[in-house]
Amino acid sequence: MDLWNQLLMGFATAATPINLLWCFVGCAVGTAVGVLPGIGPAVAVAMLLPITTKVDATASMIFFAGIYYGAMYGGSTTSILLNTPGETGSMVTAMEGNKMAKSGRAGAALATSAIGSFVAGTIATVLVTLFAPLLANFAVRLGPPEYFCLMLLAFTTVSAVLGRSTLRGMVALFIGLATGLIGMDQISGQARYTGGVAELLDGIEIVLVAVGLFAVGESLYAVLYEGGTAETQNKLSAVHMTKDDWRRSWPAWLRGTAIGFPFGTIPAGGSEIPTFLSYATEKKLAKDTSEFGTRGAIEGVAGPEAANNAAITATLIPLLTLGIPTSNTAAILLGAFQNYGIQPGPQLFTTSAALVWALIASLYIGNVMLLILNLPMVGLWVKLLKIPKPYLYAGILIFATVGVYGMRQSAFDLVLLYVIGLIGVVMRRFDFPTAPVVVGMILGPLAEAQLRNALSIGEGKWGVFLERPMSATLLAIVVAVLVLPQLMRMWKARR
Amino acid sequence: MPGEHAAGPQTLIGAGVLAVGAIIAAGAAMIPSEAGYAGVGPNFLPWLVGVVLILCGVLVVWEARSGGFRNMEEPSGSERGYWPGFAWMSAALLANAAFITSIGFILSCTLCFVLAVRGLRNADEQGATGKGFNAAQLVRDVVIGLAIAAPVYWMFTKLLAINLPGLTNTGWI
Repeated sequence: MDLWNQLLMGFATAATPINLLWCFVGCAVGTAVGVLPGIGPAVAVAMLLPITTKVDATASMIFFAGIYYGAMYGGSTTSILLNTPGETGSMVTAMEGNKMAKSGRAGAALATSAIGSFVAGTIATVLVTLFAPLLANFAVRLGPPEYFCLMLLAFTTVSAVLGRSTLRGMVALFIGLATGLIGMDQISGQARYTGGVAELLDGIEIVLVAVGLFAVGESLYAVLYEGGTAETQNKLSAVHMTKDDWRRSWPAWLRGTAIGFPFGTIPAGGSEIPTFLSYATEKKLAKDTSEFGTRGAIEGVAGPEAANNAAITATLIPLLTLGIPTSNTAAILLGAFQNYGIQPGPQLFTTSAALVWALIASLYIGNVMLLILNLPMVGLWVKLLKIPKPYLYAGILIFATVGVYGMRQSAFDLVLLYVIGLIGVVMRRFDFPTAPVVVGMILGPLAEAQLRNALSIGEGKWGVFLERPMSATLLAIVVAVLVLPQLMRMWKARR
Repeated sequence: MPGEHAAGPQTLIGAGVLAVGAIIAAGAAMIPSEAGYAGVGPNFLPWLVGVVLILCGVLVVWEARSGGFRNMEEPSGSERGYWPGFAWMSAALLANAAFITSIGFILSCTLCFVLAVRGLRNADEQGATGKGFNAAQLVRDVVIGLAIAAPVYWMFTKLLAINLPGLTNTGWI
């Protein structure tokens, strides 16, 4: 009952006109960002981080969360109509949804992905409501050694497992960690890598790195390599599902949710794996597989879309209860919390209960808003795809400037922004993953503090990580995550 | 897989990673190591990051010299970069950094927008000849740039009270 009361309190906060407005604007911005190729939710939230200096914490977290999952709704629209996935989670939707659109069923694909996102998002939010407080209660008992191991697990999965090359993932992660080193050491207050520049004591702003890598890097990449590539847009048909579509979509939505949610909660991040898993499941379960990859099967859109949304919503569990981000955007949301001096973690549910529950309540509200924004009004968003590319990318640069300059009022940051953009181009061209950079930069200083606290507990002995059962288990998982894929590969090669 | 022509740039990337690692390691040597109870001090992670980056740099160079990066996904877009367009956009971004404090956010961003649009449009029309200078198009670009920059500026300065540089102190331009 306590849970119920707190949720109701959350609704009371989230449903004030001003917070409803923030939620709505967030959902709208998120949908737009998802629809537009070139920018994703991570960079949109990063660009808008300056508002954390003026807007109160609850309102801006509601706003950012709206952008976060709004982008997932919008992303599928682009994938279905353009075959250029707005973000990685929509890759599978792009395969099957595009086939459906080509055979004149764009409307049904859009409908099943929007309604599927709603169903999955809402179920996942219910699960977050039920399980996040439980996990927070449990997590209170975790000490620095366990936290460090959890963070190590997040680093490993985001760098070594998700990409195609462990080496390139490691390079990206350690570049991120190196960036995170700049500034004042959290424990001793020692200045590191500041070169005597006072501004660097606070460290490098996340806005700068995220906007540089994603927005400026993307624009530079577009002008360098993607000139003259014409895109064909599929025709939009009436957004409507037949009885048969409903019958085929329902089970796929539920299965997708069941697959996506667990993947979001573990620090293995990303929605790539669950969406592909869901796609494979649907293909396997379908009685008639002839539609897959040819005319487009509605299950192949419904399942992965649901999995994507469930996974995205579930990433809030490790973020809120452990303070561990498992995706790009979650990492930047963590940065937003830090701007308010709030450290997400098990204590969050007691110290900032009002904020957390308002945020969770806003997820329910936001999902309803997004369903309305994306079903009857989908035609409006599709118009965004008509923006000529030069205007789109040049416009992104203006928003990038606002985000970076608004944060610290330094023209020098704009030069840095350009340099980081160049690094972004190189990383994209040579297939270096970018998520580890952002996660490493934000989680690095926290992991370092946990490591040193853990060693203090162990009086300087590294054995402390092995003596505690929880941390030893987590370490074993880290090793397994590192070694198993290699063994599998060798095993496959021998057969 | 990238052919021979990619070995050069890839080696360069490896060298860059090595250099960053070396800088971090050199910096680590200058950080005092008051370790306290922990046994590791503020210089521990810097050393670790520096050493790992140097190792990674060596491995990247080795991959580059022995047949190129492994498991590379073919990058999207054309094989060769369109450098004139890149120059336009670089000019756009650097001009923005140079002028934003003196001519204000709106004008500086509009300039950035116009230059960047020029580069992107040229990139789209590669090979098409005889286009030349088009005054009407330039005016349209300026107007669109203003129409994006000005409302953004007002939203931040008036609605959110976040400081952005202006040509005047009114917060309107």
